[in-house]
Amino acid sequence: MRVLIVEDNERIAKLTGSGLVAAGFAVDLAPDLASADAALGSASFDALVLDLGLPDGDGLEWLRRGRRARTVPPALVLTARGALDDRVAGLDAGADDYLTKPFEIDEVAARLRALLRRPGARTDVELVIGPLRFDTNRRACFAGEKRLDLARREADLLELLMRKAGTVVRRQAIEDALYSFDAPVTPNAVEAIVSRLRRKLDQACGCGEMLHTVRGVGYLLEERA
Amino acid sequence: MILPARSLERRLTGGLALVGALGALFLLLFIAIEYGLTFQTLADSKELPSVIHELTEHVVIPIMVLILPMTFAARWVIRASLRPLERKAREIDEASAHERGFRVDVTSLPAEVLPFANAVNALLDRIDEATREQEAFAADVAHELRTPLSVLALEIERLEHPAAERLREDIARMRRLIDQLMILAQLDIEAPQQADGEVALAEVAEDVASLMAPLAIRQKRNIAVETRGSASVTGRREAIFAAVRNLVENGLRVTPEGGTVTILVGPGNAIAVRDEGPGLEVEALETLRRRNLRADHASSHGAGLGLAIVSRIAAAHQARLTTQPAEKTLRLEFA
Repeated sequence: MRVLIVEDNERIAKLTGSGLVAAGFAVDLAPDLASADAALGSASFDALVLDLGLPDGDGLEWLRRGRRARTVPPALVLTARGALDDRVAGLDAGADDYLTKPFEIDEVAARLRALLRRPGARTDVELVIGPLRFDTNRRACFAGEKRLDLARREADLLELLMRKAGTVVRRQAIEDALYSFDAPVTPNAVEAIVSRLRRKLDQACGCGEMLHTVRGVGYLLEERA
Repeated sequence: MILPARSLERRLTGGLALVGALGALFLLLFIAIEYGLTFQTLADSKELPSVIHELTEHVVIPIMVLILPMTFAARWVIRASLRPLERKAREIDEASAHERGFRVDVTSLPAEVLPFANAVNALLDRIDEATREQEAFAADVAHELRTPLSVLALEIERLEHPAAERLREDIARMRRLIDQLMILAQLDIEAPQQADGEVALAEVAEDVASLMAPLAIRQKRNIAVETRGSASVTGRREAIFAAVRNLVENGLRVTPEGGTVTILVGPGNAIAVRDEGPGLEVEALETLRRRNLRADHASSHGAGLGLAIVSRIAAAHQARLTTQPAEKTLRLEFA
């Protein structure tokens, strides 16, 4: 997985870079937008780590233009502002996720992996979360070496939770993903699927507790390295 | 009513009484000269009764008839014209401690008081401006701190030293403090009265739960949302979000491992957070609430500015922050 870090503070860029290399990423550095453009033109990147305050322009504006021209990969924005409304502005401009400074390398790595798990990302074929492995082409799921025997909706749910591992997936999003618009959803349908999936995970690898319930909101699959 | 010596009302009444008395005296003198009355006439015991009779009938009684109602009328006029001042004073008193942009309304004030009211308003302008500058400065400082703190955090992450974990926790605390400072500054700089319109509390609760759940789960605690009714309030969504987030963070800090922090929406226009800690006493909440006003030193139990922020946001939304120690609940009740 190749990542381009666009950050003008040399120490932050280098420290983030070496941290991500240690986490298994291939990393290139760009100190400003001009060199970022040059790097994107000469090689293909899976993701971008973008600082907003750059010497030759505003990172958000650059991202917005790049998104329109479809030339930039998924972007994780780093912001020193941390203001509540910056988040909305950033996501509108085409940032896929954001982190406020100071950040931890583990967090950056986790967010980048989450970006790369999104549908359409290049590394889409196999999802890996802890002991769980999901082959999206063959729709086969493995817990360790054991293959899980999942019904269609259980597999759909697991794929959704694995793609969004580490974040809460709302119940409404699950219903939308699992059921077509006209199919009636009984009130406890999602709960039933979750509890069957949890039991199967428990039987296969004792990892049913990775699947957390956030009562009244949705579900979360714990991310483990 | 006993009035203080320097009261305007008392001085005006006194002045008017003096003018009345002097006027009556001058009138008597004038009549005496006009009619050629001398002290001899007054001393003459035969003439005196008729003179007194004449004076009483044509001078004293008319003056009395005039002066008594005039005295009461004067008192009434004076009081009525001073009443707007009293009302203004009450309004200024009632303006809440954090209300920005409060100005004395000069439209109903008597012309004589206008320069004074205008001077007060100019002073309020200057105070608001100074506060704004100070808060913008605090926000800038917080912002500028993030970059060196980032470098520090990244360097510490590479350390393999027994103290590294503790240092990481310190950095996390500093980071949280910067976040809180920036929220406070932002709330004040962008007038808190400025509303986004209707904010659905259930949505806020779900968003906060989604944001906080990963952290809570890493710390082996649960988060849940319980919704009763569909409460919605007028206000700034991000501010209400920050308030609920701070309540949840507070709840997570006091809840033991394996416990649950529950966000309760409704009934009515209220949102509450229930934890599994010891419950916050009313006096303790008051102390924490006052923290930002008194610039207290941070507490030993690490509550930080969290509840002071919640209290500030509540005030800006005419909401009440209360604690129910028995139910281990902190509650935000909107008007």
